[in-house]
Amino acid sequence: MRFRMECGASAPLFSGRLGGPPLRRFARKRGKQSGVQPSHSTRAPRDKRVPFATIFMNARALLKSLSMPIALAVIIAFFALREPSFLGSRNLTQLIIDFAIIGTLALGMFMILLTGQIDLSVGSGVGLIGGISAVLVFREGWSAPAALGAGLAAALVLWALMGTLIVKQRIPSFIITLGGLLIFKGVFWKVIESANVPVSRGDQENLFSLLTTYYLPPNAGLALAAVISSALGWLVWRERAVRTAHALPLPPVSRDLGLWFAKSGGLFALVLVCNGFRGVPLSLLILGATAVVVFFLTKHTPFGRYLYAIGGNEEAAVLSGIAVDRVMIGAYVLMGVTVAITGFMTTAFSGSSTTTVGDLMELDAIAACVIGGTALKGGRGTVWGVLFGALIMTALLSGMRLMGVDPWVNYVARGAVLVLAVWLDVKLARS
Amino acid sequence: MLLETRNLTKRFPGVVALRDVCFGLKPGEIHALCGENGAGKSTLIKLLSGIHPHGSYEGELLVEGRRAEFKGIRDSETHGIAVITQEFALVDELSVAENIFLGREPRHGWRIDWHTMRRRAAELLADFGLPISPDTLVGELGVGHKQLVEIVRAMDKKSRVLVLDEPTAALTEQEVAVLLDHLRRLRAQGTACIYISHKLDEVFAVCDRITVLRDGASITTLETRDATIPLVIKHMVGREITDLFPRKASAPRATERPVLEVRGLSVAPANGAKAFLRDVSFELRPGEVLGFGGLMGAGRTELLMHIFGAWGARLGGEVVLRGDAYAKPSPRESITRGLVLVSEDRRRYGLVLGQDIGFNFSLSSLKMFRGFGGRIDASAEQVRNQHFFDSLRVKAPNQQARAGGLSGGNQQKIVIGKALMTEPTVVMLDEPTRGIDVGAKLEVYELINRLTAEGKAVILVSSELPELMGMSDRIIMLHEGKIGGVFSRAEFTQERLLAAAMGKLDTEAVA
Repeated sequence: MRFRMECGASAPLFSGRLGGPPLRRFARKRGKQSGVQPSHSTRAPRDKRVPFATIFMNARALLKSLSMPIALAVIIAFFALREPSFLGSRNLTQLIIDFAIIGTLALGMFMILLTGQIDLSVGSGVGLIGGISAVLVFREGWSAPAALGAGLAAALVLWALMGTLIVKQRIPSFIITLGGLLIFKGVFWKVIESANVPVSRGDQENLFSLLTTYYLPPNAGLALAAVISSALGWLVWRERAVRTAHALPLPPVSRDLGLWFAKSGGLFALVLVCNGFRGVPLSLLILGATAVVVFFLTKHTPFGRYLYAIGGNEEAAVLSGIAVDRVMIGAYVLMGVTVAITGFMTTAFSGSSTTTVGDLMELDAIAACVIGGTALKGGRGTVWGVLFGALIMTALLSGMRLMGVDPWVNYVARGAVLVLAVWLDVKLARS
Repeated sequence: MLLETRNLTKRFPGVVALRDVCFGLKPGEIHALCGENGAGKSTLIKLLSGIHPHGSYEGELLVEGRRAEFKGIRDSETHGIAVITQEFALVDELSVAENIFLGREPRHGWRIDWHTMRRRAAELLADFGLPISPDTLVGELGVGHKQLVEIVRAMDKKSRVLVLDEPTAALTEQEVAVLLDHLRRLRAQGTACIYISHKLDEVFAVCDRITVLRDGASITTLETRDATIPLVIKHMVGREITDLFPRKASAPRATERPVLEVRGLSVAPANGAKAFLRDVSFELRPGEVLGFGGLMGAGRTELLMHIFGAWGARLGGEVVLRGDAYAKPSPRESITRGLVLVSEDRRRYGLVLGQDIGFNFSLSSLKMFRGFGGRIDASAEQVRNQHFFDSLRVKAPNQQARAGGLSGGNQQKIVIGKALMTEPTVVMLDEPTRGIDVGAKLEVYELINRLTAEGKAVILVSSELPELMGMSDRIIMLHEGKIGGVFSRAEFTQERLLAAAMGKLDTEAVA
């Protein structure tokens, strides 16, 4: 097109100090937004049709919000019919540990995707960090806590470095983290010398190995559920009190109470299922803690707001006085933390660090986020959605493992789910 | 007539961009289109070139007396109309020859016939007297040569009508002279040309006739030899001020210290580039509205964006904000120091369209709501958002409505609200009423009065002279990155302001 439809100043804004011409990604986004925009949405609809339209829209919205639970139910039903042991306590506990591993990584990925960036290096990173700690424990004889601390420190340094390169040098995150994927994998194999490195010496239990083998005693699990449930209740009550103090409108009591009841019920059901086997796995508690932290960060702090703002409109975020660079580096550092935690859990789960630990986990994490409604172009997504996406992904993987399908089916199914999820993401973004 | 329009009317939602435009282009003439920003020149060209296709407008378009219905750029090109805009449709990474024949490469079957392409390109360039090798990469050429390569390309397409939109905006005087010579030669060969420029000197130097557009209507067509620069300016401006501008000048505060002082500011678009803003100085006092006017590309937006810290590399000069030197500006630092900018492109620079109204309102002020453990005190935030939602009279169901779904006027209120929530001392408004309806405009004007009454200082950039004159206490007109003239309220006349914007303050006396 020879004309620019936009009627702005002709000189390039944002050149120089803010670095180079805007990224392609922005240019495309902007193309949609600029120029003469007939705002159809503000035109008043013909009054008689409103009810039908509203009902239709509501039905659509309802279908949209129910699509994930439906998908999960279909997957579970499919595997349960083919393999009844799928719903057994033993398998469900296994599934929950898998879920904890993928979910933790997906929560870190979620914050990266919110800003519109991506991280392809996390799968290799998971292997590398787990491998470093395993080597320190098994070969160097470090204590498990010290080895885990060293692994975490390594992850912090690596991800802070990648974040800085992406932000300050303006190298696309896709490239930096693709490089990271290869480099981490190579270093990982060198670190473990392509051998099996157990997470403990002589089958002794240590903090490392306990990550995926410790289960809360049944009564402790129930007690914990009770504590969390009361905490949730207290939070609801306090929220209502504060809103009343500010004279803000309150949601109906029945709604708040109903939600609290549903959450508490779900919590107890989960604990009972786990108790049917050996109790609540420690890894589920780790996922829970991670989810609470990420939820708090994204929902209740300026940092989280800025993640959404940067992903929604980076240029507007800069002009709103947001320290975009710092926020993005922060997101990568937090990604590093979740990579370390996931690395410890995955390595512990397989008992030793081997060359295949962490393979393709970056794609599982991205798929979990996208299935859960996180937009790849940034600015949209919730923690609940990500957890749901991770659950769907895990159910799929775990079911296939239980059925003992050929590896090729496993790959094709994962790929198909990823494509399907991104396709849905594109469709939803348009509507 | 080679090209003629009869009663062209083009409507956009809420705006009539062209009304009953009649315009005729004779074979072998250079015909200037003059008008203020927004007079409808660009829209007219888009109709002539098929970008706004047949059916999207009313009226008739005739080529050599026959009705033409362009469905796209291709149709207008087959009729011999070539449009050259300021933004080049050239590929920097390809050679001059490849660019000239882009999309029409001479072929040997499936393969490109490189020899023919190079030979013909060399011939064309020699014809034009251009000392460029056809193998040079376009990216290595200067702006002037790029412009000429575009023209060469248009000529190779056997164009009969050449439309040049602000062709000299980026050229040096020497390059302009070369370009004008080429246009005269093309005219001698029978090519007609529509020439759009804010530079009336050039228009008078090269054009045979001048058509003036104003507010989307064709006002008059003059023979250049019968016209004068002041006469053309008068036609461009000549409207009654019918809008209402409720500026209440606050009490004179000339004694108070300026809140913002800019001295000798020179700024380049990037490090190592040529200065774009040159030697700009002004002062801004509390309670004052300082208006900035100028033509498209005069540097108004860039000046504001630079002071705010979002554009350009400073070459010289200083900015003093509330008594302190402000040498390394950034948007974050500016907001902390009480300086805010409401950008002209609110959808691009102002709003996170996918988020709700409240999210956008408080985006710059989240520090105010710091609660326990770094948490945002959501209730306090909501109360404050509601206060702005109500006092700015945003028309939306509630503050949970998505910002992207609002009308232009309401979106503008959100951006203004976001800026004001930071409790600024200096408010810079860049085209705050662009694309919003009359009622919302009035509310923006009242808001400006309220701000100055509270002792805040306002910088107002506007392309609409009546608005600028109606709302400003003083006006600075920018011309090509320099100050073209400074006016106090008593000196405001549209003719003088426009003359200053065109760098012709000295010749306007005749009017």
